[in-house]
Amino acid sequence: MHSTFLEFLLRRIVGFAAVLLVLSLMIFLLARVVPGDPARMAMGPAASEEQVQDLREEMGLEDPLPTQYIRFLSGAVHGDFGTSLISGRPVTDEIMRVLPATLELVLVTLLLMVVVGLPLGMMAARHRNGWVDTVLRLLSMVGVTMPAFLVAILLQLFAAYYLSDWPLLGRIDRDLTVPDGPTGLLIIDGLLSGQFAVVLSALQHLAFPALALALSGIGQIMRITRSAMIENLRRDHVQTLRSFGVPDRVVTFRYLLKLSSVAPLTILGLEFASLIGNAFVVEMVFVWGGFASHGLESIMQNDLNAVMAVVMVSGMFFVLANLVIDIAIGALDPRLRLKEGR
Amino acid sequence: MALLEINDLNVSFSSYSQRTQVLRDVSLKIEQGQRVALIGETGSGKSVTSKTILNTLPGNANVESGQVSWRGEDLLSKSDGERERLKGIEMSVVMQDPLSSFNPVFTIGRHLEDVLYWADRRAGKRRSRADRVTHIHDVLRKVQLGDPERVMASYPAQLSGGMRQRVLIALALMNRPAMLIADEPGTALDVTTQDEILRLINDLVTEVGLSLLMITHNLGVVRMTADYVYVMRKGVIVEHGPLEQIFDNPRTDYTRELINAIPPLYGASVKDQPVSSEAPLVKLEGVSKTFTRRHLLGASDHTHAVRDVSIDIPRGEIFGLAGESGSGKTTVARMVMGMMGATSGKITVDGMDLSAQKDGRIDRKLAQIVYQNPGTSLNPKRTVAQTLDVPLRFAGLDATDRAKRTDELLELVNMPRHFAARYPHELSGGQKQRIAIARALAADPKLIVLDEPTSALDVSVQKRVIALLEELRSDLGLTFLFISHDLSLMRNFCSHIAIMLRGELVEQGTPAQVFADPKHPYTRALIAAVPVISTEEEAAKPIVTQAEKQKFLVSSAA
Repeated sequence: MHSTFLEFLLRRIVGFAAVLLVLSLMIFLLARVVPGDPARMAMGPAASEEQVQDLREEMGLEDPLPTQYIRFLSGAVHGDFGTSLISGRPVTDEIMRVLPATLELVLVTLLLMVVVGLPLGMMAARHRNGWVDTVLRLLSMVGVTMPAFLVAILLQLFAAYYLSDWPLLGRIDRDLTVPDGPTGLLIIDGLLSGQFAVVLSALQHLAFPALALALSGIGQIMRITRSAMIENLRRDHVQTLRSFGVPDRVVTFRYLLKLSSVAPLTILGLEFASLIGNAFVVEMVFVWGGFASHGLESIMQNDLNAVMAVVMVSGMFFVLANLVIDIAIGALDPRLRLKEGR
Repeated sequence: MALLEINDLNVSFSSYSQRTQVLRDVSLKIEQGQRVALIGETGSGKSVTSKTILNTLPGNANVESGQVSWRGEDLLSKSDGERERLKGIEMSVVMQDPLSSFNPVFTIGRHLEDVLYWADRRAGKRRSRADRVTHIHDVLRKVQLGDPERVMASYPAQLSGGMRQRVLIALALMNRPAMLIADEPGTALDVTTQDEILRLINDLVTEVGLSLLMITHNLGVVRMTADYVYVMRKGVIVEHGPLEQIFDNPRTDYTRELINAIPPLYGASVKDQPVSSEAPLVKLEGVSKTFTRRHLLGASDHTHAVRDVSIDIPRGEIFGLAGESGSGKTTVARMVMGMMGATSGKITVDGMDLSAQKDGRIDRKLAQIVYQNPGTSLNPKRTVAQTLDVPLRFAGLDATDRAKRTDELLELVNMPRHFAARYPHELSGGQKQRIAIARALAADPKLIVLDEPTSALDVSVQKRVIALLEELRSDLGLTFLFISHDLSLMRNFCSHIAIMLRGELVEQGTPAQVFADPKHPYTRALIAAVPVISTEEEAAKPIVTQAEKQKFLVSSAA
């Protein structure tokens, strides 16, 4: 059984490597096709044609495309995406600077989705077609349809009016020194270095942006948990356990929950992947300075090297999230593990 | 005082403000230690009766009047909690489908432990976890599961159907109930496994002194497991009496019909189908099929689904291919249909070598198939006319010819013309299967593969469908390849039969030969396991030794 699970993992990893390879090819070609000369971009409008030409040669833009692609790929494997055309600093350094902020935001958002969405979905399923269900379904609909930026602004206004001491912008109070931790995630670094003031302040700053981002996911997870639970409620095994007198709440919370969590888990993986790149609206509103807004900036400034790196990093997270979800689902549902062995 | 007594029970279902009465004045009595069978066809209300007893009716059900008393106390006036307390302790149920009765993401042990834990709680008992596990092990051994530890650690999908059914019985016996309600036990299993399970239930009932309510549609099962029989039809008990009386001296036409609809295995009423002397239409010569699964790590797996099978099917014959699940009979059928190529060997249909065809594709005018479950093989969103239209269009007919042919086809399968406008959900199971047969006939094929065409139908319906198939064969000169696990049906319907075991052909001949003198021990075991409805037939069954059984049957007791 173990070797088959290992094989299952290997198959996934090979598949995901292929996805990344295709992605790299596509983004590379796209970057070479779009109008705008990277060298001209880097030098600015004042530079002479010769200077630009020199830089083109220096950057390897005169080489044949396959050579350029292989150079890009081998650099990418080592985590080297060249230098930013705008700031002149290594692209990787810039990404590493902004990535933890978004990662922390997204992780807290996901946590919120699970902690709020799953129980609400279960509640709706248990009281299906009753008033609790109706209200929850209505709320989830609102959650799914409300655009995140609108929620973000509303929350900010709310905080500004009613919670005068609540921080509205940034990741942490300015007068606190940010711990130089290993992860870059303020909560974890704060905990590791024992600076609880940092943790508290980080949590306060996170609350509203995370809520704004989580709302649509909460709605989705709730709806999907509800329908999976209702679907499974009809199964014979629910009837069996009930016929033998196992109480309803045990059947629901132990037996049905595990069976019904595969679908919400899949949603969670997709949410994680998309939030990494799409959190920029909320990041903008809360002046978060994260990866997503960095990506947007790079696109706006036509900083092709940075764009390529941002896309590759997003893709990597997408693949990684899916791998983790696949493993989690395999751990949850023995049928998937066993089927591989047949 | 009777253990369980039901008096004038009326139950109705309501959906979208429509009320349907499903039980009408049902009365039934089970004495202490008595084995009672409740028989009836689909929709007769037998499962609703058991659900009323167990208080597991769906939300839209309504008990309108009547009493259900347990040891003299009325159950219907008790609260849900009080009724809950009886479950598993006073009465237990063995479910029909052993796979779907377990939650697939939890181990068998988890299910058993939880049921025991909550039963203990309700009984006010306290037991340590180790005591519980010991008790569960004891019960698992009682249902002849020799390795309780492995069973408990397994997930439902890791056990065979027979083992799961045994665990379900263990679940029911865990707290020594006074009555066992068995809802079609073993129906989803192979005959030999079903036979083992029924014997086990019988032994346990006598050993522990349980009362049994056996709910089934299979009269052979009733004969094996009951002393007293209730016959139910459309929510009404039409007849009841001791087993011998019901079988030997039925008082109502319905019961008589039910008994007569069962194809006999032995005796004077067995029908011998004529043997054709014509040249073979289908010829299989040394056909094998191997499925290969490649692994990234390690060697590939090979599954030998069919090994070296040689069969001749003469024109105009009904050739029966028998075997249990996994024996390879469906693989043979798919190869004959040209839906799958053979790994080695040669298949010829009407003089045409299938391996020489492109993609092994066979001409639609040559062979067609009728599947087991007409409920799923017909598209629910298409009317009968639309369903029949598809093959006719492939046959190249224009619109007027198609309409004419549709009428002809409906006539062939004895259906009124106006049924052409109906959707599958407006048809009964038997009618749906007639449409599926009509669809197979549309292209005017020479060979029709029948893949368990009647196993989803009630016996009385089965009888009519089989009669239709016989009629079609003689009228249209068709050849049938009939795949089934129902040996008593094959005895009467086939002109030749072949028995498959683990991909190999172990015996073939005319049914008269094979049933009178089965050569292979597996054939003997298969025939011996068929539940029959008379003592004479039981006596005529071949004898298999325990050693032979062990050699050829997959034991569900491991």
